[in-house]
Order: sequence, then C-alpha cells, then structure tokens
Amino acid sequence: MPADLASVVGLFGRELHRAGIPVSPSESAQLARVVQVCDPLTVDQLYWCARVSLLRSPDQVPEFNAVFALVFRGLADVAEHRGQEPTALRSESRPPRQAAGEQGSERQPAGPADTRAGPVGEEGAEVEQHALRALASSEERLRHADLGALSDAELAEVAPLLHQLLTTLPTRRTRRRHRHPRGDRLDVRATIRRSIRSGGDPVLAVRRSRRRRPRRLVALLDISGSMEPYARAWLHLLWGAATVARAEVFVFGTRLTRLTPVLRTRSPQQALARAGRAMPDWSGGTRIGHNLKAFMHRYGRSGMAHGAVVLVVSDGWERDDPAVLGAQMEAIARRAHRVVWVNPRVAAPGFSPDTAGMQAVLPFCDDLLSGHSVEALAEVVAALGGDRQVSSRHTGR
Amino acid sequence: MTSPDTATVADLLPDVAALQAGLDAVDYLADEGTATALFCAARLAQPVLIEGEPGVGKTQAATSLAQVLRTPLVRLQCYEGIDVAEALYEWNYPRQLLSIRLAESRGELLEDADVFGEEYLVARPLLTALRHPGPRPAVLLIDEVDRADDDFEAFLLELLADAAVTIPEIGTLRASYPPIAVLTSNRTRELHDALKRRCLFHWIDYPSAQRGAEIIRRRVPGSSRTLAEQVARTVERLRRLDLQKPPGVAEAIDWVAALELLGVRALDAGAIERTLGSALKYVEDQQVAREAGLATLVAG
Repeated sequence: MPADLASVVGLFGRELHRAGIPVSPSESAQLARVVQVCDPLTVDQLYWCARVSLLRSPDQVPEFNAVFALVFRGLADVAEHRGQEPTALRSESRPPRQAAGEQGSERQPAGPADTRAGPVGEEGAEVEQHALRALASSEERLRHADLGALSDAELAEVAPLLHQLLTTLPTRRTRRRHRHPRGDRLDVRATIRRSIRSGGDPVLAVRRSRRRRPRRLVALLDISGSMEPYARAWLHLLWGAATVARAEVFVFGTRLTRLTPVLRTRSPQQALARAGRAMPDWSGGTRIGHNLKAFMHRYGRSGMAHGAVVLVVSDGWERDDPAVLGAQMEAIARRAHRVVWVNPRVAAPGFSPDTAGMQAVLPFCDDLLSGHSVEALAEVVAALGGDRQVSSRHTGR
Repeated sequence: MTSPDTATVADLLPDVAALQAGLDAVDYLADEGTATALFCAARLAQPVLIEGEPGVGKTQAATSLAQVLRTPLVRLQCYEGIDVAEALYEWNYPRQLLSIRLAESRGELLEDADVFGEEYLVARPLLTALRHPGPRPAVLLIDEVDRADDDFEAFLLELLADAAVTIPEIGTLRASYPPIAVLTSNRTRELHDALKRRCLFHWIDYPSAQRGAEIIRRRVPGSSRTLAEQVARTVERLRRLDLQKPPGVAEAIDWVAALELLGVRALDAGAIERTLGSALKYVEDQQVAREAGLATLVAG
C-alpha cells in the first residue's frame, strides 16, 4: 500500500473516531482495499468508497459528511501533515461523543435472564425472591419512602436490589426448538444417533419443543421538569433493566433519546454519568405525544414494539393536543403485548386520572401504577411480568 | 454457444461505471453509492449489508447483480429460528434408513461411504452457493437477516469468513469460487456488531421523483411518461405525510401497473381513489391521504 494512502486513511479514521464514529484498524484496512480496487477519480467517488467501508448506520451520516468535508473537501490540506501528527486539525477539539464511541466495546453481564426455558423460570424466580427478601430486610424508611425524596446515597443503596427485580418478563414461544422430554416434534438427527446404542433400531425417541424467550421490554421515561425527582430513581431501575433484561430504554423531554447503548455498562454511576451527557434536555418541557410519535416513527415502525412489553413512566401532563397522544398510544397498544403506565402522581391522596393527557392514554393501558416508592416498584415488576390477560383495551383485540 | 464463458468478475466489472451501465442494461437504475457498494462486494469478495426501508430495491439489487455477472442467484430467506439444517445442508435420513434396511434384508454389507454419499446429501442454499463450480462466483442473497436470531448470525459470520464448510462425514468443502454475499435487513433489530464490521454497508434511500419516474418506466414497459411522472411525484408527496407505511418503489411500480391495466392515461383524484390500495396498505394511511386531499396530492 503506498505510504500516502496509508497515512490519509489513518488520518481520516482518527478524525472519524474523534467525531464519535468508531473506526477500527480493520475497517481502515478495508477502506484502503476498497480505494485500491475502485480507483476513485473524483471526490464524490471517494466519498462513496469511504461510506461503504466505514459507515455502519444511517444515523451517523451527518457526522460522517462533516468529517469527510473537513478532511477531503479542501478545508484541511492533508499534504501538510504527511508524516507528522495533525496538530492543526485537532484545534477543533470536540470532546469525543462517548455515547456512540463506546458502543462496540460493551459487554452485557450474563444475567439470569438468559434464554433457557426451564432454568430461567426457576433461577429468575429465585433471584427475585432473594431480592424481595433483601428489600424486606432493608430499612423501613427506605422501603416506604417516596423515591423522589431519596438522596443520591440512599438511591445507590437501593439500586442493586432494584435491578434484580426485573428478571421475569412474560415469555413468548420462539421458532427455535430445543431438547425436551415431552416435546411435540421428533428430533430425527438425535434419535438416529441415539439408536446406535441399540444397534440401529430407534428405540428411544428424542423430542423437541419450542424454546421460550422473554419478551422484549421497551421503557420510555419522561424526564421533564415535573418528573424530575422520580426520573433519577427510575433511571437506576432502567439501568438494571437495560443490562439484565436487555431492555430498550428511551428518555424524552422535548425530544426522544435512545439511551440503551449508553446504559449497558456494569457500573450504575458510569451509566448515569453517560446518560446525563447524552440527554440534552433534562428537565425541559413535555410533549409526550410528539415524542411517542418520534418513537413509533424511528423504532416502533420497524418492529421494536411488536409483541413487546411497553413501559411508559410519565405523569401525563401533556402540553400539546391530547388527541395526538391518544393516537400514538393506540398505535403502540395495537402492536405491543402489554402496556404499563407508571404515574407517580397516582400515589397522591385523592388522585384521579382526569387530566386530558391521562384520559387520552387510559383506554390503551393494561395497568396504571404509581411506581413512586420501592414497595410500589414490586407492583410494577409484577405487572410487567404478568402474562397475557383478557385485555379490555379499546382496540378491539 | 461458440466459446466457453471464462470471463472473471474483474473482466466483467473493470470499474464502477461499468457496473452501473450493466445494471442499467438489466433495468436496475442504481445510484453511485449502490453501484460502489455492489462493485466492492463483487471485486473484493466481501459481504455487503444493504439496509433501507421496505420496497426500496434491496433484494432487486442482488438479483440484478447476478444478471449482470451472468451467474446464478442463490437466495436464503431468513426467518426466526432458522438453523444450520435448513440453511446449509441436511442428510436425507429417510433415504438413508431405507437403504440400510434394504441392505440388511438382502444380507449385504454397507460401508460408511455408501450411506454418506452425494445422493444422500440435501444441499440447502448456503452449500449450493459455496459449491458453485464457476466460471464466476454465485451471488448469495441472504434476505432479511434481521429476522434470524443471534445464534444464526454467529454461524453465518463464521461461514462468510472462511467460505468453507466442514461436513463431518465428508470432509471440508472449500469454495473454489467464494460467493458474493449480499445481506439485506429491515432494521427490525440491531444486528451484531461483529457481523456489521465484517460487511461493507450501504443504505438505500427512497429515490427522487425524477429517478422514481425513470424506474417506473423501466419496470412497467409501455407505461406512459406522463403517468409515470405523475405517480412518482404523488408518491413523493405521500411520503411527506404522516403514514404508518410510506409507499416505496415497489408500491409505485404496482400502482402504475394497476393504473395501466385500468386504462388510466392521466392521474386524477378519481383514479387515485379507485386504486389507493395499491399504494397504501393500511386503512389509517388511506384516511390520512384522503384528509390531505387526493386532488392536492396529484397537483401538488
């Protein structure tokens, strides 16, 4: 590979990395191979060569275009830095966007919510029992205290218990089959292999049945001003959900942000610190319907909400037209397995869901819970784990 | 047939422009990005992952590439729970058992090789693609890979990396012409990072109204130019509405075919009303379109 090409490719890769698009050395090598075989003569051709080999998601296109313009379209002369560190380019010093940058290097702790039908039921239930017992033995004050009133230290105490609660989610049958003594189908390969012991006569029939897998959990958390004291606590719980139960976590205030990749780390402090950086509008206003529409448009439409358990944590104080909110909840309810709405105001004495927002969403929710204290959380967990009941939602299902 | 076809991929595709011209000749209008992605996949023998909204031409890209290279298209449709036996190969157990029984009843001696020979091997798409004898590699289309699950992705990754498969009873089969793998995804779930890094990546967007009209005219031969242009512009306007399933290129093509069948020469509100189901498949979307005014959708 000519030395010029190598340095240019390396430089470009570094700049992309700085802009938050993770580029590994193997991808830079891929770019070099692509450039060699395509032999681009114009900048546009080079653009497509680079995009095809380095980009992995259409969400990264604006950043990619910006870096490409910086490096190749004359804003910076690469020839100036041949053979040295490009200190001039670094003068922009954008802090690396960790939200995107560390996506590739995360591991998920293999929690009890792994997918084996028999064991997960028992293991999950055991862990849950343990967690509930631990909760029961922690201070009375903490147990009944309003989550919004807990200090950071108290929250940190409660957090590890919270995250163990989400181990049982409703399951669904998958198409993948595994060995099971009373399965409905014959496993021909295994039966024949077993028959070797009996001289070629298939004496023992090995059966297979469908595996059960937990349903996906999609959590949408309102982080506007009115929800502020509770949102912190709920973020802890959802951190647990994102790691243990592999949930998808979104937050919204003025706009919707997908927090799942940011939350998937081992340490809750780290996850929340990153979440704080990734959420630009902590404590802004609320446009619930608008944000739910954004969710459906970008993620729900391509099937994320399909058959999932959807959890919305919000007080339902809608700034915009509640009809939009109702329409979006209907669309979600039509696709989801269960819809659980958590509103901390429910716990207040004399509460009745008569704001326009709550009225609009109530027909489409399977449960309306308060989720305002540690004890109430156990209720929420039970609601999330419930299997399909006869739904009285107004969607005709 | 005068001389045997021995052209290699490099001969047929010397550069991106040649591929674009070739695709154009088989009525697939590719923009520069798509052509670059397919070109690199074919020349570098590297898999390419094509994503995009449904109906935008992802599967058709692979089909057309196979046509340009004059090589067979092997298609593996992924679904949840798909496993090795359905994707790679399977032994024909009933046939094996029968021949064992037959040999027993005749008192013959059976060797391993007798029961594990070619005639007992059922080759599924992946094996077929790997064993393609040339002169050029087959195009292996792995459709909707996001519908399969993590286990299958891991298996696929290994296969694409080695372009070889080990069948315990036969041995290792190495592909003499490693297939050109085109993976498509509808983004219903995030694919594993490892698979995404292994592949080149391209996102196909909806075409502009003008390009859409050209595509329609190619795919519905005999359609009038005015009708194609009107439909393309109307579809573009429909996409700007708040729909649950915006119409893609495939829907536009179906729509023009339906209109042609009904003998419509120019699009108006009445014609749209009659054929709205070709473009919009959800009742709610059709209501939204009617509320926006069918006449304004045509005239703009």
